[in-house]
Amino acid sequence: MFINYEHQNHVYNVTIEQRDKYFFITYNNSEYKVEAEELKPGQLKIKIGNRIIKSVITEGDKEKYVFVDGNVFKVKPVELTGTKKKKRREDGDLSSPISGKVVNVKVKKDDIVKKGQVLMVIEAMKMEYLIRAPNNGKIKKVNFKENDQIEIGQNTVEIENEED
Amino acid sequence: MFNKVLVANRGEIAVRIIKACQELKVKTVAIYSDVDKKAPHAQMADESIGLGDPTPIESYLNIPKIIKIAQKVNADGIHPGYGFLAENPDFAQSCNDVNIKFIGPSPKVISLMGDKIAAKKTMQNAGVPVIPGYHGVNQDDESLIKEGKKIGFPLLVKAAAGGGGKGMRIVHSENTLAESIESSKRESASAFGDNTIFLEKYLNKPRHIEFQILADEYGNTIHLFERECSIQRRHQKIIEESPSPVMTPSLRKKMGESAVAAAKAVGYSNAGTVEFMVDGDKNYYFMEMNTRLQVEHPITEMTTGIDLAKWQLRIASGEKLTLKQNDLYQRGHAIECRIYAEDPANGFLPSIGRLEKVEPPKGPNVRDDSGIVTGLEITSYYDPMLSKIVTYSENREENINKMIWALSRYIVMGVTTNISFLKKVIEHSEFKKGNITTHFIENYFEDWTIAKDGLPIEAIISLAVYDSMHKKTKDMVRYKEVDPHSPWKHVGRWRVGGEEV
Repeated sequence: MFINYEHQNHVYNVTIEQRDKYFFITYNNSEYKVEAEELKPGQLKIKIGNRIIKSVITEGDKEKYVFVDGNVFKVKPVELTGTKKKKRREDGDLSSPISGKVVNVKVKKDDIVKKGQVLMVIEAMKMEYLIRAPNNGKIKKVNFKENDQIEIGQNTVEIENEED
Repeated sequence: MFNKVLVANRGEIAVRIIKACQELKVKTVAIYSDVDKKAPHAQMADESIGLGDPTPIESYLNIPKIIKIAQKVNADGIHPGYGFLAENPDFAQSCNDVNIKFIGPSPKVISLMGDKIAAKKTMQNAGVPVIPGYHGVNQDDESLIKEGKKIGFPLLVKAAAGGGGKGMRIVHSENTLAESIESSKRESASAFGDNTIFLEKYLNKPRHIEFQILADEYGNTIHLFERECSIQRRHQKIIEESPSPVMTPSLRKKMGESAVAAAKAVGYSNAGTVEFMVDGDKNYYFMEMNTRLQVEHPITEMTTGIDLAKWQLRIASGEKLTLKQNDLYQRGHAIECRIYAEDPANGFLPSIGRLEKVEPPKGPNVRDDSGIVTGLEITSYYDPMLSKIVTYSENREENINKMIWALSRYIVMGVTTNISFLKKVIEHSEFKKGNITTHFIENYFEDWTIAKDGLPIEAIISLAVYDSMHKKTKDMVRYKEVDPHSPWKHVGRWRVGGEEV
């Protein structure tokens, strides 16, 4: 089972397999073999070698909370694909594939661009995503500036096709 | 004793008062605003009456509305708690006007103690030491500058009607005196509608130490020793303890006598608190008197065994104080930590939301005065204090360990709390040594923030185990092939140290 947790804008990729009474958890190149028991709903007792971890987990509306060693951590299961956007992306679609922050705008109005040229850089979950020109053309409008927040599906740049 | 008491408050203090009434077999009436319908205080009382609009001025501060409810339910007493209308003389008067007993001192005393300049004068006349300063009527800049130079530097410019640090300036030298007076006047005019200010000597290594008073309506007045409340964040107390680590038996006796003299000077009745500042040389000065039950009253209850809330009810119903000063003892050590819905990683801004889980620690001599339960919605309408955790032990050192134990096991999920911050303060070596002043937080925790170290491996393992035990089919389909341009698609499934799958 492959799971992603987002906490403070960082994504944690974890795998877990259950074999007999053990759970095998892999995270960040390490494997942990643990025994675990749910004492009460949400209350876990986990044994790693000689160590015992006691934790409490509660599910909120969208997020999960884990209480361990006196601290509470809030995590969100990562939505890896946009659920807001139903339609398939067409070639030449310049809408943002992800919700995040615009970190770089490479073009301005009336610029002539070539197919494949980078128009805008969007950062989300510590990863950059490049918006490229789908064809040769002239920039009609740039909808975002640097540091703007952009939502999935919003149009980044409008391009007038060369042949138009 | 009363037949029925209306509790004109919300949160943990309303709960505390309802419990005291229940013990004394007094019927209780809670009031609640629209957002507090499911709050514990509203559910615990015998009767609960809605106030509607949650805006404070339309609910817990609305005197006509509350008085009307009290009359309708035939309450013969109103307990104001603390905050809201507790120190509003008009409210106490309005209760008197309709023959409902206000559980607290008379409106006259409340209004006298609310005027800080008049309160200081009264205390000075009663022989209670006050901080050297100028509290006069000449408010022109020239007179104030002259008086300021007389007091010497550093000195404090304060708003007469002030509170919460508004209109307050520390002046270190003559050069900045004039501008500080000017800006303090401006600030207090806009905050309180009154630009009267006073000047005070600024104390070296100041501590905030207060004395609990109980007085009946026949002039019997006792004190129940001190509370050390120096640990404050922006003039808001967060950790209190009793006894104070600097207190000596002779100083306690002297300050206790001053506190009783202060209460007697104004004909005080019911529970009250005389606040003093104590400097590094153990000189003490009257600061103000709070004419209500304090937030931190439980630490006095723990160390003396006296139930202050019940005594408030007894005194207000006309009973005589049967406790004698010489029969009272302080025993052991108590600490209170105030748990706020505040985010220490985000400038201590209030944190709002639904409480997904609340589980306070339980143990010997651990008391949780709480106004919250799982499922309750925390809104931004009211003070963000959620609860108070109080521990009691034989001595201070053991009690600090007990408090660390309790804070480490206090589960609040859904809103962010200051619990981790409280723990850091309690664990600080200077706190452990008792070297505290009212500047403790600014000195040691000015730029403190939660280390954003990310998820510890213990949390990651716990989550993974939990999700594996509670596997749902939708969790299995994480990669819906909806978006061919998704950067994640190209990452694909992967296994650490393994082949792409």
